Amino acid sequence: MKEKKGMTKAEKNTAMWAYLFVAPTMIGLIILNFYPIFNTIYQAFCKTGDFGKGNTFVGFANFQSLIVGSNSAEFWQSLLNTVKYAIIEVPFSIVIALVLAVFLNRKKMHGVTVYRTLFFMPMVCAPAAVAMVWKWLYNQQFGLINNIFGTSIAWISNPSIAWISVGIIGVWSIIGYNMVLFISGLQEIPGDYYEAAEIDGATGIRQFFSITIPLLSPTTFFIVQTRIIGALTVFDLMFMVMDKTNQALPKVQSVVYVFYTYAFTNGNKGMGAAVVCLLLVFILIITLILQSCEKKFVFYN
Amino acid sequence: MKLKKLVALILALAMALSLVACGGSSSSSTTTTGDSSTTTASSDGSYSVTELTVNIWDNNQLDGLQQIADEWTETSGVSVNINVVDWDNYWTLLEAGASGGDMPDVFWMHSNTSQMYMENDLLLNLDDYIAADDDIDLANYYEGIVDLYNSDGVQYAVPKDHDTIALLYNKAIFDEYGIDYPTDDWSWDDVLAAATAITEAGADDGVYGFAMNTSNNQDGWYNLIYGYGGEVVTEDHTDTTIDSDASKAGMEMMRQILEVSVDQTTVAETGTDSLFMSGKVAMITQGSWMVIQFYEAENADDYVWVEIPYCDVNGNGECDDGERVSSYNGLGWAASYSTADPQAAYDLISWFCNYDNQVKQAELGVTMAGYVGADEAFSTAFGDMDVSAFLKVEEDGTLFFRPYTRNTTVWEDALQQTGCFLDAWLDPSDPDLMSQACDSAAEIIRNAIAEE
Repeated sequence: MKEKKGMTKAEKNTAMWAYLFVAPTMIGLIILNFYPIFNTIYQAFCKTGDFGKGNTFVGFANFQSLIVGSNSAEFWQSLLNTVKYAIIEVPFSIVIALVLAVFLNRKKMHGVTVYRTLFFMPMVCAPAAVAMVWKWLYNQQFGLINNIFGTSIAWISNPSIAWISVGIIGVWSIIGYNMVLFISGLQEIPGDYYEAAEIDGATGIRQFFSITIPLLSPTTFFIVQTRIIGALTVFDLMFMVMDKTNQALPKVQSVVYVFYTYAFTNGNKGMGAAVVCLLLVFILIITLILQSCEKKFVFYN
Repeated sequence: MKLKKLVALILALAMALSLVACGGSSSSSTTTTGDSSTTTASSDGSYSVTELTVNIWDNNQLDGLQQIADEWTETSGVSVNINVVDWDNYWTLLEAGASGGDMPDVFWMHSNTSQMYMENDLLLNLDDYIAADDDIDLANYYEGIVDLYNSDGVQYAVPKDHDTIALLYNKAIFDEYGIDYPTDDWSWDDVLAAATAITEAGADDGVYGFAMNTSNNQDGWYNLIYGYGGEVVTEDHTDTTIDSDASKAGMEMMRQILEVSVDQTTVAETGTDSLFMSGKVAMITQGSWMVIQFYEAENADDYVWVEIPYCDVNGNGECDDGERVSSYNGLGWAASYSTADPQAAYDLISWFCNYDNQVKQAELGVTMAGYVGADEAFSTAFGDMDVSAFLKVEEDGTLFFRPYTRNTTVWEDALQQTGCFLDAWLDPSDPDLMSQACDSAAEIIRNAIAEE
């Protein structure tokens, strides 16, 4: 009868090394991710004191205030704003990136790497710098866009279009990233399929819809999922592009912007923590829905 | 799998970039380090540190303050490293530092937040140090500022400076449309008349008579409320009279000026100071802390400062007692409760605040002094640009302290946004909106005070 009596010396040695190798990651995760997550959830149930001292437990008061109470109008509006932003950013950035990726995947074209670099550029720029440049492009009086087209549209101050203007910046910034992912996905598709399709007389467009799109679906799914999460946590664009006294701000500010206002501008960490907890729940629900869609839409060969 | 490789590559790239960015910012923040080679020159040699870090938020003041600090370094042997962090991030950083126990040694305090920092004992108690110091006698400083940094009888900061408000106009625009220049004797009615004339005449050129954003409170509409006899926050900091008839009369004056001013959408996108310096606006009100920016502007020769207009409340066309008011505020030099060498930190504060260096601060045009009577030199600090208007208002006007409560930002920000004065600014043609905004403001302030 074999009975396990602890580990042998060699096993212990192996285990020790294993722990040693995962330690940097684990310690980083625990200190920088897990501890803040649980602390945030705890603070969401508190009326927080100044400088992290003297928190008093208040139960669901913060959540109640956000969902039905005095802050509910602002919170729900910001959630709507965020969803609207995601509705612009995610589909447009994916469709445009896909088309670009298909073109830039052709090896016959000259200067492919130059174009790829150009489209990837916005990804390397600091988001704050990108936002500042766009802020000036959009400026109603002195902006380049209005000057070129001879219009006088309040791109970022008109509440009914400001959310689209901000969305466009988001699309522009992320296209390159999505494109690179798509190119790598395209290169996984075996060339034989296209040859066979050509022999059968399929046109380029037919090939695109019948071969490229289905076989690219794992990549597409990955991008959709990460971009939705990315878009729902957007903050820097609104923060940099819009002044606090901009009349369109209430119709554009994202959930994370509201979190920033509560937690850092107003020093109400508890309310801020409650906002991000609600956002977390929202993102979890969206992710669950997406996961359940995965089997339906995604082909793994 | 290629996808994974690519993602890994991108992540690595992003990480490398952020590391580079971090490295960049930390190295740039130390470029202002003063000369540290003089460690042996210490006169009393009793300090246990060789460097003090100082945080401020105004880049315009860096050069002058560094110069004053370097002189201290020469005698003390302690180098002074001044970091500039912009206004918004300054408070985020300081709060994070305070929560984590890692604050700069010496830094600026402001009325918006000082109560919170003092009550939580995050600032060094300066009482004993001041008592033992011949250079500092708090009676010599502006009383309102001294009181501001005093909590339960303990002094936590020494006044660094004070500021007042004046009217700035662009001569070139007045010449262009043949309108008389503003003078020290103007009332807000005169401003309204001139602004109306310029906005009408300049309609084709896109030139306006006046500009004010809802965020121009201390340097803008607060002065009208107090001038007409209202109060944004009462003197005991427990209530407001912003919904009183007096306040509403002030804001009604404001509304009429706004009718002929640059529209709110534009000032929210471009900023009143940028509009002024682009020659699109003839008059704005500004605080004394902004002078350097206009002094260094391209067309500085056209810019003239006059005293803040008075509020002709009784309508007799003369500036009577109490009709000319200007807000004032003052920063304080404070030290961290956990600074390694409190004596060194205090001695630096004392150096910044002693009479000689308060005069020097004014001379260098950094700001007006916190020491009463030390800023004559300020009016001539800017060469041909005469800034005596900021000093004259103290003689023939009334100063009121910038309104504050324990957590000022909560209501101060709300007042500037939708649901309060922003609504009235967007449609200044409707007097009811302004009156309603005053009522909403009162509610916002009272709720905020109740929450504190």
